[in-house]
Amino acid sequence: MIHTIDITKEHCPMTFVKTKIKLAQIAQGDLLEVTLKAGEPLENVPRSAAEQGFIVLETKQLHDDVYQVTIQK
Amino acid sequence: MKITVNGEAKQYEQAVVTVADLLVLEQVASPEMVSVQQNGDFVATEQFETTLIHDGDEIDFLFFMGGGSIPDFSNI
Amino acid sequence: MDLTEQQIERYSRHILLQQVGYEGQLKIAQGKVLIIGAGGLGAPAALYLAAAGVGTIGIIDADVVDITNLQRQVIHHTPDIGVPKVTSAANKIAEINPDVRVIQYHSWFNPDNALQIISDYDFIIDGTDNFPTKFLINDACVMVGKAFSHGGILRFEGQTFTHIPGTACYRCIFPKVPPKNLVPTCSQAGVLGSIAGMLGTIQATEALKYILGIGDLLTNKLLVFNALNMQFRTVPVKKNDNCPVCGTNPSITELVMEEQAVCELKTK
Ligand SMILES: [Zn+2]
Repeated sequence: MIHTIDITKEHCPMTFVKTKIKLAQIAQGDLLEVTLKAGEPLENVPRSAAEQGFIVLETKQLHDDVYQVTIQK
Repeated sequence: MKITVNGEAKQYEQAVVTVADLLVLEQVASPEMVSVQQNGDFVATEQFETTLIHDGDEIDFLFFMGGGSIPDFSNI
Repeated sequence: MDLTEQQIERYSRHILLQQVGYEGQLKIAQGKVLIIGAGGLGAPAALYLAAAGVGTIGIIDADVVDITNLQRQVIHHTPDIGVPKVTSAANKIAEINPDVRVIQYHSWFNPDNALQIISDYDFIIDGTDNFPTKFLINDACVMVGKAFSHGGILRFEGQTFTHIPGTACYRCIFPKVPPKNLVPTCSQAGVLGSIAGMLGTIQATEALKYILGIGDLLTNKLLVFNALNMQFRTVPVKKNDNCPVCGTNPSITELVMEEQAVCELKTK
């Protein structure tokens, strides 16, 4: 199953906090598509997710400085 | 004799024979306030005088520690 | 149970930790910790446990705040002099974190109330300053199978260990209350105030680890430190088969308050 979260309005560290909480609520193996801003969020959220044992599958640009990172639980 | 006391390697000129002797050498003022472990096993207070210490033993002195203030038991 | 947006922000630094996370914060919120003695050790422990969001904190202390407490009992402030310690502590906790439910026991922890009180909690913090109560806490926790953290401080030194069922208890290390005349008197005692904070926060950390089920607790080892040279040492201790309360043939089968020296300088 695919879930989504938009953290473009969040700032560090709430960007990853919100992502983590969403990941905690989904089932093992499910995907989470995280919409986030370039810069700090794009650098740190995938890295933190990988560090904590999640799988970062793909990163793509949606438009301008808005990106989407797909993370698997 | 070489003994490790509270994690510190120590060399004694004097003959350390029993736990009680070591307490005197280490200037432990009140043996009743200390619990002694010899190589990880507790030595009963009554056996301080008769428990022999061997070269290479690891001895730990554990002291009673209460708190920084004094209780008032008048209203218990 | 869910955390509100505000709680998510409040506990964000916990949630970020891999070993805590959202689920861990929920465990903390459901945790129940009893602090026996709102003094030097209980004060910092209570502050950090409250800030951490421990759902229920019980505090037992019959004393009122005295000016001599303020040098180290940081949960009590100057205007609290004369106020029951449990009230003073509960007020500060409410200010730090309104999520926490505080249960106040304005009495001493004694053989009559011990088992009843501890039965409501997951983890007990020994923040007392006297040997009879320390032994009583140990015996009560061993008898009903509760986890607790022992703490002791004196001058520049501190010691602590954690007991969970099946591991070494206080009496495994110290079988009986020290003789009356050897307990340091008021004038000899004294303690550097910050030592209380060092030790109380270690105890709070053990409580949180226990609630979260993470890491290695200070079980079967006694942590001792001397702040003068800032050396910490962990001494392995074993569960003692001859222990009078948890040994194979226990001689202590009911709770008693053992005798100890009463300080003559204390004026009330
Ligand atoms: Zn025991």
